[in-house]
Amino acid sequence: MLNYIWGGLIISSLLFAVVSDVGDLTRDAYRNGQPLPVEVAFPEGYDADRRSVPVSIRIDPGTFREFYGVEAAPSEPFSGVLRQSQEGVVLRFDGGSDLPDPLSTIQVVSQSRDEELQGSLVDFAPLTGVGGSASAGLVFEEVRFVKMNAISQAALDFAETAAEISLGLIGVLALFLGLLKIAEDAGVIYALVRLVRPVLKPLFPGIPDDHPALGMIALNMAANVFGLGNAATPFGIKAMEELQTLNPSEDTATDDMVMLLAINTASVQLVPPVLLLALMGLQINQLIFAIIITTSLSLVIAITAAKLYSRLPGARASNPLLHPPIPATASGPPAPSSEGEG
Amino acid sequence: MDALRSAITLFSYFVIPAIVVGFPMYGLYKKVPVYESFVEGAKEGFGVAVRIIPYLVAILFAIGMFRASGAMEFLVGVLNPVLSLIGFPGEVLPMAIIRPLTGSGSAGIVVDMIAQYGEDSIFVKMAATMFGSTETTFYVIAVYFGAVNIKKTRHAVPAGLTADFAAMIIAVWTVRLLFG
Repeated sequence: MLNYIWGGLIISSLLFAVVSDVGDLTRDAYRNGQPLPVEVAFPEGYDADRRSVPVSIRIDPGTFREFYGVEAAPSEPFSGVLRQSQEGVVLRFDGGSDLPDPLSTIQVVSQSRDEELQGSLVDFAPLTGVGGSASAGLVFEEVRFVKMNAISQAALDFAETAAEISLGLIGVLALFLGLLKIAEDAGVIYALVRLVRPVLKPLFPGIPDDHPALGMIALNMAANVFGLGNAATPFGIKAMEELQTLNPSEDTATDDMVMLLAINTASVQLVPPVLLLALMGLQINQLIFAIIITTSLSLVIAITAAKLYSRLPGARASNPLLHPPIPATASGPPAPSSEGEG
Repeated sequence: MDALRSAITLFSYFVIPAIVVGFPMYGLYKKVPVYESFVEGAKEGFGVAVRIIPYLVAILFAIGMFRASGAMEFLVGVLNPVLSLIGFPGEVLPMAIIRPLTGSGSAGIVVDMIAQYGEDSIFVKMAATMFGSTETTFYVIAVYFGAVNIKKTRHAVPAGLTADFAAMIIAVWTVRLLFG
């Protein structure tokens, strides 16, 4: 299943990017090479000898809409600078300008070279003197294959993000795994197992009595309930490690592992995540009841789904407990790779 | 409701200290060499984090590409007519699609929706309820299974997505019921 979803995500992103880029090309969405009519005003006056002159750039909303065939349009004049050199006159918008689409896209795409949006001016015949202004045509850098660019950039960026997230977990993982080791050695986990066994045992039938896995699962669930994502992850990972000790297979999940995962994706939480609190502020107080109802019902559904799906023929055929893998020995034949994915 | 919430919140302040201080204290009482035990356990942290990397890279880059390609707008366009049959508003559909894929992306959607519809809007309430009541399924799969090198996830994805799908619909209904 994950193989198909993963492959599907990658292939469909390429397809959508191609379709979208070809659409842009046929519509000529960025009007490559065509001058956009602009009005350039010189608050400090124009001087043909200055390399860089501050300007205020006004784009008529009607002209803009007609030119690009879009709904959005600039309302305020933009500030920028006029740069003059032998190669010609370049108009550069100040960084942080609130640009309407498709100018914002043009800016992002050409950002690889410059931080600000810039284009060369054509038909530019300024009047000298303070408060002067001139109309001209503005030609931006040619923009093509925006989405193709975006997906390759996203692939690289997110690979980096993923490694950063993983490595960022090291400290918190070490802290809680250390504390868990103390708890294990002190017998806290076993006391906890005896406490939660009556409730959790039916959900995790594969865990023998007095196995620490149930205690770790209980801690993981408790941390989730109190919205302590930082602690819930190490506890959940430790629980997975305990479950893995009961797993005859190296790379195939057991029913109990899937159950633990399902419970975690449903995320039983009575305290809303800190992030949501930061976004919504005190508004969250109204929602607490709705969140508790939703999260509890979805937990029930997650547990039911995990139980039901484990009985399907595909899931039974790949169950490592029902079909233990043949351990490969140095002299024996290679183990058959019969187990598919459910 | 407020009293219950403040009680829970108050209690949650004490959970981490209870663990961080309580476990070593109880360990001392039980004559466990706490420092040695802690270091022994903490050693694993680095290994686990490194083990997760390939799984998380695989999941996150695929999701990142998918979001960047503009496929989301297409999905919203296709699913909207189908889901509106069961009373699912199109305004919260991006949230329902993004939520199982990325946590930061769905937080971004909440921010966008607050800007677009206002804090008091019923759509923002629905989206926030979805955000608060489900987890980033694919991230959880990558981290939890990655930590023990499980590649064949069996029925974990279907079970997780079933729960997510149900949670999205329940969130819409619950918010309608309470605020509609």
